[in-house]
Amino acid sequence: MEVPELPLRKIIHVDMDAFYASVAQLDDPSLVGKPIAVGGSGRRGVVSAASYEARKFGVRSAMAGALAAKLCPELIFVKTNFERYKEISDKVRKVFFEYTDLVEPLSLDEAYLDVTENKKGNPSASLIAQDIRAKIKKRTGLNASAGISINKFIAKVASDVNKPNGQKTVPPEEVLEFLEALDIKKFYGVGKVMKEKMYRHGIYTGLDLKGKSLEFLEEHFGKSGGYYYNIVRGIHTSQVKSERTRKSLAAERTFNENISSEIFMLEKLEHIADEVERRLKKSNVAGKTVTLKIKYSDFTLQTRSKTLALYIADKHLIMETVKELLFQEGMKNSVRLLGISMSNLNNDKKEVLKVSEEKKYDVQLKLEF
Amino acid sequence: MKFIVSSSYLLKQLQVLGGIINNNNTLPILDNFLFDLDGKSLTVSASDLETTVSSHLDVESSEHGKVCIPARLLLDTLKTFPEQPLTFTVEDNNTVEISSNHGKYALAYASGEEFPSAVDLKDPSSTVMQGDILATAISKTIFASGNDDLRPVMSGVFFQFSTESLTFVATDAHKLVKYTRNDVKATETAEFIMPKKPLNLLKSILAGSEDEVTIEYNESNAKFSFDNTVLISRLIDGKYPNYEAVIPKENPNQLSIDRNQFLNSVRRVSIFSNKTTHQIRLKIAGAELNISAEDIDYSNKAEERLTCDYQGDDMQIGFNSRFLTEMLNNLSSDEVSLEMSLPNRAGILTPVDGLDEGEVVTMLVMPVMLNA
Repeated sequence: MEVPELPLRKIIHVDMDAFYASVAQLDDPSLVGKPIAVGGSGRRGVVSAASYEARKFGVRSAMAGALAAKLCPELIFVKTNFERYKEISDKVRKVFFEYTDLVEPLSLDEAYLDVTENKKGNPSASLIAQDIRAKIKKRTGLNASAGISINKFIAKVASDVNKPNGQKTVPPEEVLEFLEALDIKKFYGVGKVMKEKMYRHGIYTGLDLKGKSLEFLEEHFGKSGGYYYNIVRGIHTSQVKSERTRKSLAAERTFNENISSEIFMLEKLEHIADEVERRLKKSNVAGKTVTLKIKYSDFTLQTRSKTLALYIADKHLIMETVKELLFQEGMKNSVRLLGISMSNLNNDKKEVLKVSEEKKYDVQLKLEF
Repeated sequence: MKFIVSSSYLLKQLQVLGGIINNNNTLPILDNFLFDLDGKSLTVSASDLETTVSSHLDVESSEHGKVCIPARLLLDTLKTFPEQPLTFTVEDNNTVEISSNHGKYALAYASGEEFPSAVDLKDPSSTVMQGDILATAISKTIFASGNDDLRPVMSGVFFQFSTESLTFVATDAHKLVKYTRNDVKATETAEFIMPKKPLNLLKSILAGSEDEVTIEYNESNAKFSFDNTVLISRLIDGKYPNYEAVIPKENPNQLSIDRNQFLNSVRRVSIFSNKTTHQIRLKIAGAELNISAEDIDYSNKAEERLTCDYQGDDMQIGFNSRFLTEMLNNLSSDEVSLEMSLPNRAGILTPVDGLDEGEVVTMLVMPVMLNA
């Protein structure tokens, strides 16, 4: 069996174990070892999470509080505390960012990490996952499980395998085998309805799914047919999308010797603009506001900025504005540091006004409602 | 349940109603026409949940009942018949049998009760206008409305009724059309945003119609009744942008020109414009309008000169030629006026002649900012 020839990535899916319930147990040690259910309004509400002790009795999330209480008479209901979850979730995310910036949070308690290239230079995603889980335990006192594989889908399925407080690696050579043996209802996106539909067509495992042709799947499952066809072959190209949005992007330089001539400053600024352009392109954003930062030899700081009508990412365009700012008024003193920063970035990508390489940027204007 | 109806009469009504049926419905029942028979009176309805249209037909019958008949199948069948009476009989085995001069056809039907019922308008206000006027108002404005899901209010046409006039506005933020009728009035002021789909249907049914249309409306729905048809549509929820604020008041530069000549020149020149920006350049000096376009990628270039009437400073302004053609095309006057202030402010296009009494048309188009 051959693994599809795609650039191999290393994806970790980290999932906190019974997150809400564990947080409740963390904050109130008397709850440890007891079946608890987290839900908005006690018995009248709906269970939004259950501790492992409660799960033994069949208590599940989204179950009516009354039913849960019936299944497990000892069940203790605790209130949700989203601020606290957020606080802990932030701590957990900080751990992630120590390893990679490619973090895609799915909710407060789970996230995908792309560690193909990571900040620790550690080639083993399994070891990274172990590290991350240990750090989470140390800093928050909570257990996390992890799944490690070549794409988001398999990583997510794998994180469930050795839950709680465990991890599972599906290395590239085992991917196909793993998927073939997988129960169809464990496939991400297969809910109750889809499960029944699959069962009706005699699809119970990954292997059954693999036996169906693309045409068959598309005919019976519509657009998602293609998705299932690929996924069971280990093909899932969805990227880990980090949602961290940049507010600004800058580059600056401190000089060995203080400069007093604008001509020399321009020369330095050219280099800085190069760097800004490179970073803008790397992040695939453009900015509207150009800020020139000037630190004088007496360490006083001055910033001059200008907001343009359109987003720019091109060095020449940045320099045009920088020049304007530089000559806006005379220098008070000799200069020890210069910097250029771009803010008002088009992170939403909604209003991207394409700035072409050549200087022929004509822009369709809009009515300003 | 049984009735006899003329095939072409039925087809004509159903084709109108069919316009509202979506191609891929989430609710399978919406793929049907609802036939509601009450003696000699048959009401046929179609719905997409947003809009429900019903038409009333006179048929030969003495029975009552309600069934849903698959729309596509029925339309396809009816289209093939030469004019003749058709007998519809609802059989016990869950099928409707149609018998024609040629033979018999059975269609599975669903219970009439499954069809979603149209909303009941609570405490509506109402206005009456001539069908043709409404159709004109729609066709003058609807092309300017947007398709942006992020700003749903701009995907419809804004109806603004007052005791002095009725105004219809559509915009996609690049162009804007305001169509006012001072000769039609409402009993009280009201504002609502109608989605495009039902308006397109109304436009096609009402074009040239002298029937009176009664428009009833409240905060959430509008109902259009005329002749034998009733259309009820959900309104687009939200606040329409303050369009008056973007219409420039001071426009010292005034160009007036033969509409057809201008339109033809723009069309020809735009063929040479960049295929993504469709951008053309107007240079106006003295009594000469120079229209040019260039596609640098392919070294295509065109330039035309027209004589015009111009009051104002020499100026140069860029436009998306598609917007200009759409707008010029939508007007019917011999001559148009284009008022401008600066190359980065909206141009105002108005017809100089050919308007009906009480009709006012104002079109706005935002320029393309030219770099050089």
